[in-house]
Amino acid sequence: MLSRLLVDPFALPFMQRALVEVLLLGALAGGVGVFVVLRRLAFLADALTHAVFPGVVIGYLVSRESGIVPGALVFAILATVLFTAFAARARVSQDAVLAILLTSFFGLGVVLVSRQRSYTADLTTFLFGRVLTVDSTQIAQTAVVAVAVSLAMYALRKELLLRTFDQQTAQAMGYRVVLLDLTLNLIIALVVVAAVKAVGTILSIALLVVPAATARLLSDRLLVVTGLAVLLGMLGGWLGLAASYEASINHGVRLASGATVVLALVAFYLLALGIGPLARRCRRRRMKLPPEVADVGELSAGRLVPGTHTGGGVR
Amino acid sequence: MAVLTLLSDSYTRRALGEAVFVGALCGAVGVHVVLRRLSFFAMAMTHATFPGVVLAAILGVNLYLGSGIFGFLVVLAVAALSARGDNASVTGVVLSGSFALGVLLLSAQTGFTRDLTAYLVGSILTVQTGDLVTSGITAAVVLVVLALLSKELVFGAFDRDATVAIGYPAGRLDVVLLLLIEVTIVTSVPAVGTILSVALIVAPAATARLWCDTVGGMTALSIVIGVASSVIGLVISEQWSVAAGGAIVLTASGIFALSALLVPATGTLARRRRARAGTAEGPDRLPAPGAYPHGAPGPATGTGVSS
Amino acid sequence: MVDPRADVGAGSLVDAAGDRPPAVVFDRASVAYGRVPVLEDVDGVVNAGHMVALIGPNGGGKSTLIKAVLGLVPVVRGSVQVLGRTPTQARQDVAYVPQADTLDLDFPISVGQVVLMGRYRQVGWVRRPRRSDRLIAAEALAAVGLAHRSADRFGTLSGGQRQRVLLARAMTQQPRLLLLDEPFNGVDAVSRQALLSAIEGLRAAGATVVVSTHDLSLAHLACDDVCLVNRHQFGFGPTAATLTPDRLRAAYGSAALELRGEGVIVAHS
Repeated sequence: MLSRLLVDPFALPFMQRALVEVLLLGALAGGVGVFVVLRRLAFLADALTHAVFPGVVIGYLVSRESGIVPGALVFAILATVLFTAFAARARVSQDAVLAILLTSFFGLGVVLVSRQRSYTADLTTFLFGRVLTVDSTQIAQTAVVAVAVSLAMYALRKELLLRTFDQQTAQAMGYRVVLLDLTLNLIIALVVVAAVKAVGTILSIALLVVPAATARLLSDRLLVVTGLAVLLGMLGGWLGLAASYEASINHGVRLASGATVVLALVAFYLLALGIGPLARRCRRRRMKLPPEVADVGELSAGRLVPGTHTGGGVR
Repeated sequence: MAVLTLLSDSYTRRALGEAVFVGALCGAVGVHVVLRRLSFFAMAMTHATFPGVVLAAILGVNLYLGSGIFGFLVVLAVAALSARGDNASVTGVVLSGSFALGVLLLSAQTGFTRDLTAYLVGSILTVQTGDLVTSGITAAVVLVVLALLSKELVFGAFDRDATVAIGYPAGRLDVVLLLLIEVTIVTSVPAVGTILSVALIVAPAATARLWCDTVGGMTALSIVIGVASSVIGLVISEQWSVAAGGAIVLTASGIFALSALLVPATGTLARRRRARAGTAEGPDRLPAPGAYPHGAPGPATGTGVSS
Repeated sequence: MVDPRADVGAGSLVDAAGDRPPAVVFDRASVAYGRVPVLEDVDGVVNAGHMVALIGPNGGGKSTLIKAVLGLVPVVRGSVQVLGRTPTQARQDVAYVPQADTLDLDFPISVGQVVLMGRYRQVGWVRRPRRSDRLIAAEALAAVGLAHRSADRFGTLSGGQRQRVLLARAMTQQPRLLLLDEPFNGVDAVSRQALLSAIEGLRAAGATVVVSTHDLSLAHLACDDVCLVNRHQFGFGPTAATLTPDRLRAAYGSAALELRGEGVIVAHS
């Protein structure tokens, strides 16, 4: 019964490809997402998903399908650099700068696309992607990005962690914090670019934020959080695809696959909201800690980076 | 010239009216969004109203009502969940989750694309007289409420703990402000769409903040910029036949970028202006303390200050 | 271990002056953030007209205790009575000076406006501040020595000056009880003196003052009583009798060694 729901749909080649793509993206975004959540960069991730839109449109206009990823990449880098530059100027808070960048890039994309005849169809594809039509080239692209990002993250793990936890110390120790920030922002941008064509903007922000936020609810240890986030990202992709297939084929209800994946991830999050405190209490009993000690640890870990979600370190 | 030709056509006359109302509304509310750093929250609200719109379309009730009610539920959800985790992640989860719910509902229906595009990027040129009246009334009501509560809202934005300590119902004030933001979003969606309405809320206020060092001046300038960018954007979209929502947003963010370049980083311009105003006693200034000896008008203060 | 309740008199409900009811009564009060208890078993009395220092290490619960007196943080066990009422009911007569560095320095607001905020409750909803309100605000600003900065943006002031502005704002409320959270942290000598003399002015007018601080010399210099806390209470009473080396060592733990280096404990032993 369970195998009919969870395994059988993936006998079809197009479902296989979709599954591989979603698993790759889930693992990649889940891992990167840990830093997105710890640094409170959810809004930046959201902004980047929208900012690649004009790049997608221009890339498509220049050289059809093959132009999309380069176009998106160029605009993601442009947006990242612009944001990092603007954020250095105070007076207007970073979230306002992000909102303006996000919407103006998106507006540019809308203006460009509105000159096309296939206006609405293009826009919809961009927003929701077409995970069921991914081909092997796209999978290969995603795999390359995944390997590159994993290597970069592994190489910089100490530095990124230090900067996340304590910006001032990182600065005092001689690290170029701006460069570190730019690197992380570019990594996020790469993930977004890899994800946007297959699954659309909304799913890429969900993949970046939701699994990591869920994992954060369940554990206080960075390694565990990362592992859980990767697993949850993959699991959500799998279950979401299976559910949308099941509903579409056997129950006659067409469910958009990308949206189903997001809702599967959100369901995990809600579950973790219920389980998290329970798990903590069990662990506390096992470790025989007085309740307040464990709770203070939880509090301070949860407030790793006070201040605005787009930047700032420990003050 | 372009504006004159615009006015000859009843469609574009209505569009122009809508642009003015929405620009003023967004400009005024945006000041508080910028001061309280609620941009991401506003973004989440725009996405969150989406399932409401879909549900309303399915059930055949008023779209404004549907998106308004759903947005309200999401405000409550974010407020409740934020107590459990950090704000940004919760907002991200709620944003993507509720938008996906909307997509799911929509995909289960037929006619997947048409309504959606108008909802996302707006279609100000097809605004009906009814919409125009709705936004006019909403703009008036929101502006009046903002004016009446301005001193409390500014106090809360500056130092929320102190408003509680002094006895204000700060939680209720927050809810009032969030509702005002939500009403603004719901109202401006037909004109510029969900995603771009955030631009019209944030960009004029952020621009005004670059030029002004007082909330009053900021609000006035923000409204002017909001109206100006909607009208200019509309004219541009007519002239070059591009999407009006996109043109409006690009105008607003263009004004912001230009201002960011023109205003010196240190704000010397504003400081010089203030220095020139010098000792002039503006409405927000206190009288010079030396001007009134201690027997000056005002309640006799038992706990007064001995200077 | 020092018994926190083997105390030096201030634990009793009888005011030394006897003529006015106490400003704050803590009755075995415990306060918590969410489910996390921060400070437990605070027991004692702040007498009317006194100036009381809250002393203790960082994270020991000083700010939380102040917020409990304001009713911003719930009292989970025991009770806190402020001016004979619950903390929430007493807010009209209580003024609070937050730590200035928690505020947004980019906020577009002038010094004069910040001070005027203290009058908003008296002005009422919707109405604009009257001339008399502006005058009270101007006097308060003059009392902290910053009348000439009234038109400047709040964020352009130095840390000590911002703290003085917030004190001026509290003064315009004409409070019976003034609560200050670490007002002397990172404050220059001029501002410190201005703050102290303004507080002295308020006390002369009959106000009670509670101030949280690390500064033991300030407690000796300016405060009648001391409440020593770190997660729970280590002493509550007249300054000299409460700040004994034993209690300080107990409250500060290993940090007490540093205190000896500063000569504080040495001065008493």
